[in-house]
Amino acid sequence: MNNIAPVPPAQGFADATTPLVKNCWYIAGLASEITRAPRARRILGVDVALYRTLAGAPVAVRNRCPHRSFPLAKGRLEGDELVCLYHGMRFAPSGQCTKMPALPLAPASAAVRSFPVAERGPLVWIWPGNPDHADEDLIPDTSWLSDPLWASVTGQFHMRADYVSMHENLLDQTHFPFLHPGTVGTPDFVRSTLDVREENGMVIIDRSLPNSPPPGIYAMPMDMAGQPVNRFSEARFASPAMHVAFARLTDIDRPGETKREWRFNITHLITPETNNSLHYWWFCSRNTRLEDKAVDRFMYEGSNQAYTEDVEALQWITETILQDETPQLDLNFAPDKPGLLMRRRLRYLADLEAGLLG
Amino acid sequence: MVNQRLTVAVSGIRQLTPRICEYMLTSLDGAKLPEHEAGAHIELYLRPEPGGQIVRHYSLIGGTGRGDDAPNTYRIAVQRERGRGSNFIHDHLDVGSRLAISPPRQAFALDRTDPHSLLIAGGIGITPIYAMLRSLARRKRSFSFFYSGRAAEELAYRDEVLSLAGERGQVHVSGIVEPRHPDLRALLAAQPEGTRAYVCGPRPMVEATRAAAAALGWAPGRVRSELFGAGSNVPARDFTVELRRSGREVKVGADCTILEALDEAGIPTLSDCRRGECGLCPLPVLGHDGALDHRDRYLSPASREAGKALCICVSRLNGARLVLDA
Repeated sequence: MNNIAPVPPAQGFADATTPLVKNCWYIAGLASEITRAPRARRILGVDVALYRTLAGAPVAVRNRCPHRSFPLAKGRLEGDELVCLYHGMRFAPSGQCTKMPALPLAPASAAVRSFPVAERGPLVWIWPGNPDHADEDLIPDTSWLSDPLWASVTGQFHMRADYVSMHENLLDQTHFPFLHPGTVGTPDFVRSTLDVREENGMVIIDRSLPNSPPPGIYAMPMDMAGQPVNRFSEARFASPAMHVAFARLTDIDRPGETKREWRFNITHLITPETNNSLHYWWFCSRNTRLEDKAVDRFMYEGSNQAYTEDVEALQWITETILQDETPQLDLNFAPDKPGLLMRRRLRYLADLEAGLLG
Repeated sequence: MVNQRLTVAVSGIRQLTPRICEYMLTSLDGAKLPEHEAGAHIELYLRPEPGGQIVRHYSLIGGTGRGDDAPNTYRIAVQRERGRGSNFIHDHLDVGSRLAISPPRQAFALDRTDPHSLLIAGGIGITPIYAMLRSLARRKRSFSFFYSGRAAEELAYRDEVLSLAGERGQVHVSGIVEPRHPDLRALLAAQPEGTRAYVCGPRPMVEATRAAAAALGWAPGRVRSELFGAGSNVPARDFTVELRRSGREVKVGADCTILEALDEAGIPTLSDCRRGECGLCPLPVLGHDGALDHRDRYLSPASREAGKALCICVSRLNGARLVLDA
């Protein structure tokens, strides 16, 4: 006799209350943040201690001694082993206990949970889910962040918002001229043709806008302010951890002239801290004027301004939702299609992990 | 964590070989069971009548092929052996039977950073190795897989694991009459630099693997092992424990530890690891009519010699009557 009720496959959409998708590579931190000094960061609801071995390999273990819950990141490193400051229990990078001073032999069954990690360029990725699924081939491509033919500026935020709304904000380009006038938004963009598709679990938006001046943030490095160019952009929900936008701008057709091309890759890395807070890193990369510090400054300031506007907006929305006692079913309009496809994908992944799907 | 038990129901049974049956164990309410990683095992608490509780350890197989089992289900495989535990399971568990299990415990972990992993399974020792193989194949790690048994028809999951391992898999059939044992030293010697070996099988195979590794100059940590039938790998006999302070007597069956028998009888005890390491369970010994069989890693040689304490989670008596202060 099996008393398990069959659960129908979910048709729903993720929101801030949906369980976070764990079987995914997320950013644990910038490579530069993870050092020989252990640091703590909460990742998908779990406190993690991050450090490096003597050979430089990043390590992530649960920031909680399995003996009496002392935060291990407050301990010290001896060689590659993390020593708990409370009773001196020591742990290898694999999480295995190597010494418990109060016992004659290290208990073979004692271990702290360790997480698969992988370093790629300026990023250290972590797999918070079932480690037996942690295939490094699933780490999304960010090769331009360490490619000498590209230059990047970067910034980070800790924000009180859910990752579903964050992804939706990034897929929603119709807010650009209103929330970000002057930087990324131009009035024409709202009406540009939009093509949405789903591919390998990604939601991809293509837009093209021929013969239109570039937005402020690109106009300066291109030195094309106010001049018409052809604009192509692809924005993708690459995974629950990443959104990336590839912008390509070219000269308009002029018979007999070679067209120049400018490319900008915008990388958004999102690691939920809890259901209602997240760690956010952005990189704005360009393939032009790589050494120009004035361009660095300009792109950093413009990006930082736009993303600060996004962060503020999402925090206001979160506050509104959390404080309001009367629920509301938000309306959806045609441009929300990419966001809804992303929400459906996140819900599918969450249901899959919860075992709700056959 | 101490003594926590879960109740599950048998939701499926499959005969894998003439002696091995697979059991699917599903939570009663359909809720997720605790998560586990490759190499983990659970304890089954069985209550055959007559004879008292039996505890048996079984590795979690985790799924079939590359796929995981549902989060509300554990998969184990049980080989019929001499002794009460596996026979009770084969003879009495049906779909719908309920039983108590422990949460998953990990004593045979796969190091996820090995440059190359060598998996060695002997017979029913395939169960944790299958989970490791799935993990390595899915993560596209470098590995070799070696599966040996007495007869081809006794190799559970043979086709599944070979298809998962592809050309990195190898089967050895030793034969029942005049068995031809695998050359483990040659197997280990053929592995790339830095390989770590994981071996689960009968005691002679585990010992042969360790000896081969030592002969090749491998550091001991480069071989991890688990014996199958962990609860019954050394012959044991029945005896009686007298608890002088509580004025009670408890029978300890050959299939059961002193600690389990005391738990079952409702005598308060302290324990955590249940494998002779943590040092919580020792009780003062007041008398015994046979040799104390110390099997723990906690008591010092001097205190063993003195014979005044016994780690009741693993240690036993080679006699009929033991008096403890409890």
